Amino acid sequence: MSSKIGRRTLLKTGLAAGATSIAAISCSPKQETSVNKSPTLITNKIKDVTLRFVGTGAAQNNDIRNQAEKDLGFKLQMRALSTGEVIQIGISQPKQYDIFDGEFFSLPLVFPSGNLQPIDVSRIKQFDKITPIFTTGELYSGAKVNTSQGTAPRKVMFVKNQDSTEFSQEPTNWATMIPYQYGADTLGYRPDLVGRKIESWAELFNPEFKGRTSLLDIPSIGIMDAAMVLESQGLMTFRDKGNMTKEELDKVTQILIDRKQDGHFRAFWKTFDESVNFMASGEVVVQSMWSPAVTAVKARGLPCIYAPLKEGYRGWGGGLGISKNLSGIELDAAYEYLNWVADGWIGGFLSRQGYYSSTPENARKFMKPEEWDFWYEGKPAATEIVDPYGEKIESKGAVRDGGSFEKRVANITCWNSFMQEQVYLVYKWTEFIVA
Amino acid sequence: MNISTSTTATTTSKNQSQIEQALQNNAAGVLMNSVTKKYGSFTAVEDLTLEIPAGYYCCLLGPSGCGKTTALRMIAGHEEVTSGDIFIGGRKVNQIPAAKRSTSMMFQSYALFPHKTIWENIEFGLKMQKVREAERRTRVGEMLDLVGLSHLGDRKPDQLSGGQRQRIALARSLVTRPQVLMLDEPLSALDENLRVRMRTELRKIQKQFGMTFIQVTHHVEEAFSLSDQIVVMTHGKIDQVASPEELFDTPASQFVAKFMGDNNIFQGKVINCVQDSDLDLIQLEVEGLGTIFCRGHGVVIGTEAACSIRPDLMFVEPYSPDLPAKSSLAANQISARITAVEMTGYVTRVCLMAESTGQELLYKVRTEDWRSNSLHEGQLVVLSWSKDNCIFLAY
Amino acid sequence: MLNNKNLSTYLLVTPQTLIFVLFLVLPIIAIAIVSFWNFNGFAMTPGFTLSNYLGIFTSKVYLSTYLNTFKFAAIVWLICLLISYPVAYFLAFQIKSPQWQTIWFLICTVPFLTSNIIRMIAWIPFLGREGLLNQALMGLNLIDRPIEIFLFSDFAVVLAMVQLYCLFMIAPIFNSMVRIDRALVSAAEDLGSSSFQIQKEIILPLSAPGIAIGSIFVVTLVMGEFATMRLMSGGKSSSVGYLIKNQIDSLQYPMAAANAIVLLLLALIVVALILRTVDIRKQL
Repeated sequence: MSSKIGRRTLLKTGLAAGATSIAAISCSPKQETSVNKSPTLITNKIKDVTLRFVGTGAAQNNDIRNQAEKDLGFKLQMRALSTGEVIQIGISQPKQYDIFDGEFFSLPLVFPSGNLQPIDVSRIKQFDKITPIFTTGELYSGAKVNTSQGTAPRKVMFVKNQDSTEFSQEPTNWATMIPYQYGADTLGYRPDLVGRKIESWAELFNPEFKGRTSLLDIPSIGIMDAAMVLESQGLMTFRDKGNMTKEELDKVTQILIDRKQDGHFRAFWKTFDESVNFMASGEVVVQSMWSPAVTAVKARGLPCIYAPLKEGYRGWGGGLGISKNLSGIELDAAYEYLNWVADGWIGGFLSRQGYYSSTPENARKFMKPEEWDFWYEGKPAATEIVDPYGEKIESKGAVRDGGSFEKRVANITCWNSFMQEQVYLVYKWTEFIVA
Repeated sequence: MNISTSTTATTTSKNQSQIEQALQNNAAGVLMNSVTKKYGSFTAVEDLTLEIPAGYYCCLLGPSGCGKTTALRMIAGHEEVTSGDIFIGGRKVNQIPAAKRSTSMMFQSYALFPHKTIWENIEFGLKMQKVREAERRTRVGEMLDLVGLSHLGDRKPDQLSGGQRQRIALARSLVTRPQVLMLDEPLSALDENLRVRMRTELRKIQKQFGMTFIQVTHHVEEAFSLSDQIVVMTHGKIDQVASPEELFDTPASQFVAKFMGDNNIFQGKVINCVQDSDLDLIQLEVEGLGTIFCRGHGVVIGTEAACSIRPDLMFVEPYSPDLPAKSSLAANQISARITAVEMTGYVTRVCLMAESTGQELLYKVRTEDWRSNSLHEGQLVVLSWSKDNCIFLAY
Repeated sequence: MLNNKNLSTYLLVTPQTLIFVLFLVLPIIAIAIVSFWNFNGFAMTPGFTLSNYLGIFTSKVYLSTYLNTFKFAAIVWLICLLISYPVAYFLAFQIKSPQWQTIWFLICTVPFLTSNIIRMIAWIPFLGREGLLNQALMGLNLIDRPIEIFLFSDFAVVLAMVQLYCLFMIAPIFNSMVRIDRALVSAAEDLGSSSFQIQKEIILPLSAPGIAIGSIFVVTLVMGEFATMRLMSGGKSSSVGYLIKNQIDSLQYPMAAANAIVLLLLALIVVALILRTVDIRKQL
């Protein structure tokens, strides 16, 4: 992975250097730019623009890039990194990217840095097609998600005005990011090894599974999964699981440490591959998991269920922000890309992996009816279901775990979060890991 | 070096006798009986039989690869014999490990332990023998006195000069009071001047203690100056065992004659042999030079053989046409041209080339004597020598 | 003439010095500076505070992380030494042909021919609950239920680190041993040493510089380690390196910097202690 990045970085630097030398020949010396600046700064045709991305693996993808380049006519340069690295670069190296592909919960950290410019919502033609999850937060009347805890996207989706870095709790014309993908995370389990249905988060700490459970070792997410468990066990209640107090963190950590020393956890996972390997090898039978990881376990021919739990899901959302360094023709290109994303091709592509599109109606245009029925409607698969790369992931007749879009998303009770007590959280999490 | 020699003379006198007593009458003879050593298909030493009397200073002499070091290492117990037996002091030692053979070895590189002080190096063997601390201290002190390096006990080997290291290696070998001391090229790491001085010292110590020394060397002069007995080896076999004098006067083979130095050798066919006093008078027909007379015995007429004449036993006169060819039966003579004159100090080496055959010859003369004649490079001369000094070599 | 010579000497060392300063000294200075900055939970601000350091030395959690790191460094070092010394001795003294020495050496490097990911994936089928080792032991009726501590445990961490870092110990010890004059061994034998005494009196002291260099490698590598520690403990054990990585991931740069500086100093102290014990100059 690192070598890949290295090569890309090299490529980019090389391109930049090349562009600089061209600039030196063709332009007046005044316009010579430093290598750090975008190599396309001196161009005046949109097809010469190259947009540089920084994001996590899911959408930093060659198929998406190729399709976008075909449809839009300009170049994209993608860079896949871990969530943590994306946030770091977002904050500390603004010259490294033109488009920030990040998670909403990172915005309380990234947006105040001033590295992103508010997005003019009126320039996003399909903005009204974006699901209310992101705008008002209300899916439909009475849905659990309407009152969900944590850094719900709607809380950080808008800023007060064009020059503000202050989040607005009401929709405005100025967005921090344009959402494009989101999901509902829950526990995954091996029905063949568990032997029964898992229907509550509390099962993760059930002594029955001692030594065969795992938790996600990313402090801010892992602590929330643990909180879900403790709440459903009736051991604790939280005002906001997405923004715990020190006392709450102390208590959660203490219980986690007790569980750990009791040998309840087989291991903790940090990367997608690890979670798949734990589950596929049978080292772990129930653990917090990501949707595509469940799909990957199934692809190995092993049964794996992404359990719909009565306490609801932990949600997450990803969007695209625009660097404050963009202007003129490059900014136009960035808006064109955002519009292209809202148009739905990418939504169709991601939906086929189990993510949801921010503009589901548009994504539907790029999906077969039976795919839409399976992924969004919760109906039994009318045909074999294949992923975007043509690999079979579900047999005919299978039903998506948790059912329809409405059912799953409405049951998000908590979102990936940035907590006020982030420093203390990391500290307590470390205490748990070393205990 | 001067300091140390004088130290040896003065400070050691009081305990000298003690050490000598401990070491003397302790010498053992060595007998090798049909000893062969093979490394795979390569034979390093072949059917070697050799007796080294107790108390002798014996040098194994030969070019590199002749098997002399292998022979030494077999006696010391650092190599196993492939076949044959080795006896030390009458005791068969084939199966006895090196440490228990009452021998000690001084290595070519001295093999001083670089991480130990001089004192610890010498003490090492005693420690291994579990000699008590107090006795160790006495004996190491005595040895350091003996080699005159008492003041260097705390140094490490790399702080010493080559000569000092050599003495320490000797002290380390002697401190365990071996019956036989083996020395593998002990002087080869030293420069020429030091080598000559250390040679004298080695011989002195050997005489002092009377123990058996067996030394490997490829240096003829060293062997001559040190030995009671020289064993000339080539290709894993013994060519000749003799005292230095014998070896110098009567080399037994062409190889020995050549190796001994600069002997002139003529190869030819035996055409006649006349009984005469205790050595036969032999006529050798040398192609291009005619007949050469020499002394020897055990001759078969008609065989190919050779003879050797030392370069210092020849005579040179200017060539003149009226000089009678083959003036008498008593003298061999050939005409030759001087190709080079090298003044090396006391001796001048004169290189010549036989007129008729082109064979290169050597004549050595005292520089003083050479100066008194008027010979010069490029001049045609007559070389002559007595048949009595010309040694017959059967092989 | 003398000036020219001096100039060319300076020119020769310039690239190395520049690289050293640019890519080692300056970053460390930067890290040292940041370690005194303030952190408000969201972002760092330049300033001067000792709270990052105080946090490290007053926190039970951090101290136990440091202790844990040292514990692994010590255990891995000891096991590496116990394995490497005989292996190096075998390579240096028992294998006579240089070709075979090379071949054996290449075999020792096999652990490096795979990536961390591959190793991680490979350990599960071998050490896992249903892995080869457990199945073999159960097949032989030596155990009746899988041994869980083979994987995701301190045992697994030590095993993987030893497998990974042994070569760093073997190579310098081997290097020291091949330089030992074989005549020294003969001389010691000649003077009556047993095999054990030869090891104790000659080979061990003379390979001490190699042991020291290998120890520096192993100890510093283990002290800075986080990937193996995480993967093999299944994230259940932590090291200072992993702590630093977590803090960086959480954007807590000043604290990460302070930990990095403390770790660096501790590593330097360990190296200094090793160098005080053994003179390694002969090796260089």
